[in-house]
Amino acid sequence: MREITVQALLDHGKDTLKLKVLAGESFLGRKVQETAMNRPGLALTGFFTYFAHQRLQIFGLAELTYLKNLSVEERRSRLEALFKRQIPGVVLTRNRRATREMLELAAAYRVPVLRTSMVTMDFVNACTVMMDELTTPTKRVQGTTLELMGIGVLMRGDPGIGKSETALALIERGYSLVSDDVTECRRTSRGRVLCWANNVTRYHMEIRGLGIIHVPSLFGVSAIRRQTELDLVIDLTVPTGEEDRTGVAQETVDILGVNVPLITLPVRSGRDMANIVEVAALNQKLKELGHDAAKELDDKIIDRLSGVGRGRR
Amino acid sequence: MGAGELSRELKVENEYGIHARPAALIVKEAGRFSAEIYLEKDGNRVSCKSIMGLMTVEGFPGSRVRVSASGADAEAALDALEALFVANFHES
Repeated sequence: MREITVQALLDHGKDTLKLKVLAGESFLGRKVQETAMNRPGLALTGFFTYFAHQRLQIFGLAELTYLKNLSVEERRSRLEALFKRQIPGVVLTRNRRATREMLELAAAYRVPVLRTSMVTMDFVNACTVMMDELTTPTKRVQGTTLELMGIGVLMRGDPGIGKSETALALIERGYSLVSDDVTECRRTSRGRVLCWANNVTRYHMEIRGLGIIHVPSLFGVSAIRRQTELDLVIDLTVPTGEEDRTGVAQETVDILGVNVPLITLPVRSGRDMANIVEVAALNQKLKELGHDAAKELDDKIIDRLSGVGRGRR
Repeated sequence: MGAGELSRELKVENEYGIHARPAALIVKEAGRFSAEIYLEKDGNRVSCKSIMGLMTVEGFPGSRVRVSASGADAEAALDALEALFVANFHES
């Protein structure tokens, strides 16, 4: 698991978390050890048993109203008890202002204090998603990713085998490009692999003989997709003669700990790869719906054979 | 790093770093060899036979990259790529 800092939340959540720093700007490098949030509630009354000090502390309407009803000295000592427990940061929701004690304690105990315009529940939901995104394992894989009818397909293979050319033919058929040649992957909390393109080269492709093209300019915005969940990996290979001819055995490949169905397609000149990839994606969709053509035919034959063996016709 | 992999650290010294043209030159040069050749910077490892890959490594001027190769002609491939880097990708 990757570590995150309060700064990372601030940077990545520019649009979604609406955070603003109120105090302790120099301490934004603090690590958020536990990727969850805590509403201090009881801790403000002085009860610190099971206090989740490694989490970001969220002050909502309840906490702030409670603090407001305390005397200055009381408020200071209650907050100090919280701040001195090495908390990673404090977030005030609903754009509430920090009390003077908070600003002083932020500096004294080197804790960043932030505020958001969001209401507590929305912020907690959005921040949970963000923390999850920032901490799950990511990986860069060599391959071109497309989305075909909602099926995420990653095509891999040696340079020059025809990944981009196949992708181009599929885009012409109305499917969408996610990334060409370099795909960034992240494991989601639902145990899927999410794929997207590198920021710099997003929606560009390199086609041998043509050079670099910009896909949405040529084919329109429907030809691109920002990200897709991976359903199928297709390896384009030089024919070896060892390929699976029945499709009964489903191979998988491990990507970030997720087993993704794998198909190995030998590339021969004159073979319409786009057509085959399209059918592979359709077939995968069918399998996910519970229909496995290869297995069904095999079962039918086995059933028939055993019937014949027992003298039944 | 695989077994039998050779690698060299090279410095990007041309004016704009590894943009489209130098990337294309690297791919062209790497394509002459059967060895598997990779370029690595800040933990990002991409194939030297992929223009799109090379453009994502952010090889800015003055940065250092590690080029590694494995295969029969690995040594020659590294020589060729090093020459390309030293020649500043033939930029005048």
